[in-house]
Amino acid sequence: MPTLELNRDDRVIAGVCAGIAKQLDVDANVVRLLFAVLALAGGAGVLLYFALWAYGSGRRFILVAVLAVLALAALLDTLGLSTPAVIGATLVVAGLAMVLRRGGSVRAGGSLPFRAAALMMIGAVILLSHTGSTRPFIGPGAAVGMLLLIVGPWVWRLQEERGEKIRLEERAAVAARVHDSVLQTLALVQRHADDPVRVSALARRQERELRRWLYGSGVTETASLADALADAAADVEELHGIRVELASAGDVPLDERVGQLVLAAREAMTNAAKYAGVSEVSVYAEVTASEIEVFVRDRGAGFDRAAVPAGRRGIAESIEARLARAGGSASVWSETGSGTEVELRLPR
Amino acid sequence: MRRRVFLVDDHVLFRAGVRGELSTVAEIVGEAGSVAEAVPQIKELDPEVVLLDVHLPDGGGEAVIAGVAQERPGVKFLALSVSDAAEDVISVIRAGARGYVTKTISTEELGDAIERVAEGDAVFSPRLAGFVLDAFAAGERVGGDAELDVLTPREREVLQLIARGYRYKEIAARLHLSIKTVEAHVSSVLRKLQLSSRHELTRWAAERRLI
Repeated sequence: MPTLELNRDDRVIAGVCAGIAKQLDVDANVVRLLFAVLALAGGAGVLLYFALWAYGSGRRFILVAVLAVLALAALLDTLGLSTPAVIGATLVVAGLAMVLRRGGSVRAGGSLPFRAAALMMIGAVILLSHTGSTRPFIGPGAAVGMLLLIVGPWVWRLQEERGEKIRLEERAAVAARVHDSVLQTLALVQRHADDPVRVSALARRQERELRRWLYGSGVTETASLADALADAAADVEELHGIRVELASAGDVPLDERVGQLVLAAREAMTNAAKYAGVSEVSVYAEVTASEIEVFVRDRGAGFDRAAVPAGRRGIAESIEARLARAGGSASVWSETGSGTEVELRLPR
Repeated sequence: MRRRVFLVDDHVLFRAGVRGELSTVAEIVGEAGSVAEAVPQIKELDPEVVLLDVHLPDGGGEAVIAGVAQERPGVKFLALSVSDAAEDVISVIRAGARGYVTKTISTEELGDAIERVAEGDAVFSPRLAGFVLDAFAAGERVGGDAELDVLTPREREVLQLIARGYRYKEIAARLHLSIKTVEAHVSSVLRKLQLSSRHELTRWAAERRLI
């Protein structure tokens, strides 16, 4: 705020005019003349003089403000504005002054002094209702405006908080997921650092799980043939340290019969891992309009079915009989030295 | 002769790994981690084969192909990814890649794949074969009729065997064909996949995205 020093050496009344003249570097008599003219305007000059005197001698701000406002009112009244309009304008100015003094802000999170805003509102309503031409709308308009001012920031903040909450929940879900899977796997990898086969099996299984989570059906529990086969493949990889190359075309939801098919496929993969002596097994599942086919193939040792001892029931019991019960069929092709392929069929 | 290969992948560690693995079978002429880095370098270096990640930070592998193809039509692209999303893989193929292999592929097989792609053939991993069968099956269900929109029974047979893990040589023996004929069938499928403009492929991709 600019300072005003009363000039007591060159005073006529209290030294206000001389003080202003000194501040502005003009002749004191010019200022006195101006005040005299203003005094004619409903006494505005006199009131202003008192206001400035109060200001210059360090009186309470409210006194200064009231006197200044009264001076302004007197001036405007003289210029032809009706008294209520002047009061309205005064209230608007006072409200604005209050907002500025309190460092109010209309930005989100800023503090808007509501009392000052209300003061401005009331002032505006009075001013408009005595000058404008759309009187009937002013009352309701003011009410709506007030409501917006009060409710708006609150709704805004609520919205922000909701978005923040959703973000936090998402983050927590991702963190939980990463902890349950990736971090556990990393821990296992560290523990088995000297066992490359196991480490790569762990890495592959984790990769599959993550991928299915990112791009797959999104359901945590296994819900489809392709997902169940991926699970079975990952289990076999982990247990036996081989790689299962899995491909599929089409998919069906998992039910009891399809579950049996998956178990049979898993058995075929396990057999390949145990007996074929290879590092990779290929699995392909295709769903057509009439049936589901799963192929499990390796390029390993192969075997002669007739030479398999009767005690080894893997193929007969776990694969063929299982599928027969589910209404499907299995066939095994194998040749010593060039590998094995198990073909599983299940009508839909 | 070793093939001149360019590597595009946003994982520095993976690039280093491939570089080391391939050093005996190919000459890595350059590498990049984003579309913006890759396009000008590929144009300048003019490699025979670009190993291309499906997902890149500033756009997919498609963006690299689109940026290069016009000026350097001789450059062949082979998609190399861990991505499981069928529609992403199919769209890179449709953009012009001549094959797709997964990152778990052995060095020897990757060397073969690079050689094959450089020769102008297509390279279908079992997984890609499955995706393609799925895509065309979706079209056939709704009755695609144009020549480009359906697979011939032979092409279907070849793709199914690829998906089951058979190599070209094994497929040829099983179907009593020459290896050249098997390759021709695969190339024909690739051509159909890239040229077919039918809505079903797009719809198939859209449906998969929704699942």
